[in-house]
Amino acid sequence: MTRSRVVVSVAAALVALGLAAGLGVLVLSPARAAVGPLPAEALALPADARFLMGVDVKRLVASPLYARFAKGPGGMRPDAFKVLEERTGIDPERDVRELIVAGGLGGRNEGVALVLGDFDQYQIGRAIETGKKGATWKKLGGTTVYVFSEGKGTPSALSFLDGHGIVLGSAAGVESTVESRAEGRAALKGNAVLVDLLSGVKPGSTFWMVGDQSLLANMPTSIPGPGSSAGSSANITLPKLTSLTVTGDLDPVLSVDVVGAATDAAAASNLADVVRGFVALAALQASQKPELKALQTAISVATDQSRVRLTARFPHDLIEALARPKAPSPAPPEPAPDPSRLR
Amino acid sequence: MSAQASVAGRDTSRPLPFAAAARGVFDLTLEGMLWSRRSALMAVLLGLPVVLSLLYRVSLHARMPRLTGYDLYGVLVAIYYVRNVVPLAALFYATSLIADEVEGKTLTYLLTRPVRRSSILAGKLAAYLATTLSLTLPAVVASFFVLTTAEGSAGVGARVPDLLRDLGTIALALVVYGALFTLLGVLLRRPMIPGLLFLFVWELAAHLPGNMPRLTITAYLRSLVSHRPAQEGLAALFERTLPAGESILTLVALSLALLAAAVAVFSSREYVMEQ
Repeated sequence: MTRSRVVVSVAAALVALGLAAGLGVLVLSPARAAVGPLPAEALALPADARFLMGVDVKRLVASPLYARFAKGPGGMRPDAFKVLEERTGIDPERDVRELIVAGGLGGRNEGVALVLGDFDQYQIGRAIETGKKGATWKKLGGTTVYVFSEGKGTPSALSFLDGHGIVLGSAAGVESTVESRAEGRAALKGNAVLVDLLSGVKPGSTFWMVGDQSLLANMPTSIPGPGSSAGSSANITLPKLTSLTVTGDLDPVLSVDVVGAATDAAAASNLADVVRGFVALAALQASQKPELKALQTAISVATDQSRVRLTARFPHDLIEALARPKAPSPAPPEPAPDPSRLR
Repeated sequence: MSAQASVAGRDTSRPLPFAAAARGVFDLTLEGMLWSRRSALMAVLLGLPVVLSLLYRVSLHARMPRLTGYDLYGVLVAIYYVRNVVPLAALFYATSLIADEVEGKTLTYLLTRPVRRSSILAGKLAAYLATTLSLTLPAVVASFFVLTTAEGSAGVGARVPDLLRDLGTIALALVVYGALFTLLGVLLRRPMIPGLLFLFVWELAAHLPGNMPRLTITAYLRSLVSHRPAQEGLAALFERTLPAGESILTLVALSLALLAAAVAVFSSREYVMEQ
């Protein structure tokens, strides 16, 4: 064997070894392949979700924009963080890596959140068991499911998935997720529409959301046109959307991409015109708030066959300017004294 | 014994069988290709991500919490390998398969042997693929494991399908760019400049709106990398992900067409060696 063939053989052996190791980990690990931005653990979430959303928490909290706006009273800190803190005592900014929410379960206003990160399960379990939140617990699928307010309206629950995941939300959704996980089922793959939409999410996004037709069924079908009253013929009819995909990043500017699929190209064009109209209307308010004028350049709307794509890029300074409370208008000048009175 | 007689059981009036001839050319070319300055440079370029991955693990991981190991792996595969270094490696190696023989005036020795021209090209292409795959794939596998285990080994299993897909994409990139640059190599006397223009000017059309990306190779390859990093600016505005099935079919069909063209040109062209 020549030295060249030895090199090629060694390289092939290295690749084969790596592949064997990887496949071994894949087969032995209960985690299965991820779909789009969805981590493998999230495939156990219920299939009857209307929408899925995810947040890369590490990226979110590391962003200067988050540091500027989320802290302090009235900040933009996500509600899910507050709920998580109350229920488990964990610090989301420090301990959580990723947050996935499956909402609209079975067409109801219920959801399940999967929190991935590094947690001390024992301490969290003890905190819940000794806390005063009226939690009961039971064993399911080899793990403990903590149920809150059982018997009072819709019960909620919390459970641990392996060493790095917490699932919390409606009791039915949590139990379904735990059972799927225990049986090694990728339940969410049963929702072909959402799985298909997930494959279109831009990889590496800080936050994303996909929703199917049923999520959008409750959207208003028309909005009042200029100078029209409710129900009048001058109302603008909004075309029906069949799916919605949102992706976004915080740095270096806040960028949001919204892709809505309409029923046909004409409906998409119609919807794009409506959105452009709203942006133009907002820009017209520039006399009251000059920052609004920048909106027109920050937002662009385009159509691609039956899809409408809204792209927004907001520099951090613009967001700060828009969020800043309106400065009180200067007091009207004192009327000039009547010269005749001075005499 | 007449000239028509067989030597060691072979009919010398006929060329060597295709496979045997291609294998002979493969051995000869591989030896020259693998132990060359070009390969030393390419080994450094293609192996650089392994060094960067180790650096990330040792030092950068703690300092850059916003950049996860998997994100960096995505950047390395989609931007470093698939967009830049793999096409460059294909350009350097594949354009020189025949051009170097012409330049060194050694093509005559090959062409006067009792072998078909198609087997010469096949052997050289096989040597090119063996060399580039040997230099690239181990580096990708090593980078994958170093980077995806940076936050612990829990998520590695779920990422393995991405590794398989990446290895396939890189191999396909080497095949399709190799076929293209082999054709340039047999067509042109100085194929390097047109090749560079193709890579770094024409391929930018992948970021344009409409159907322009379909006229590039990189748009199809990019669509096969599922964990590529998010784009910014114009690229983000117009970025289109082409369907995976369409991308693979197009790349395979393009490779076959370009290889067939290269074989046809090489088989019929008369090479005049300058004295």
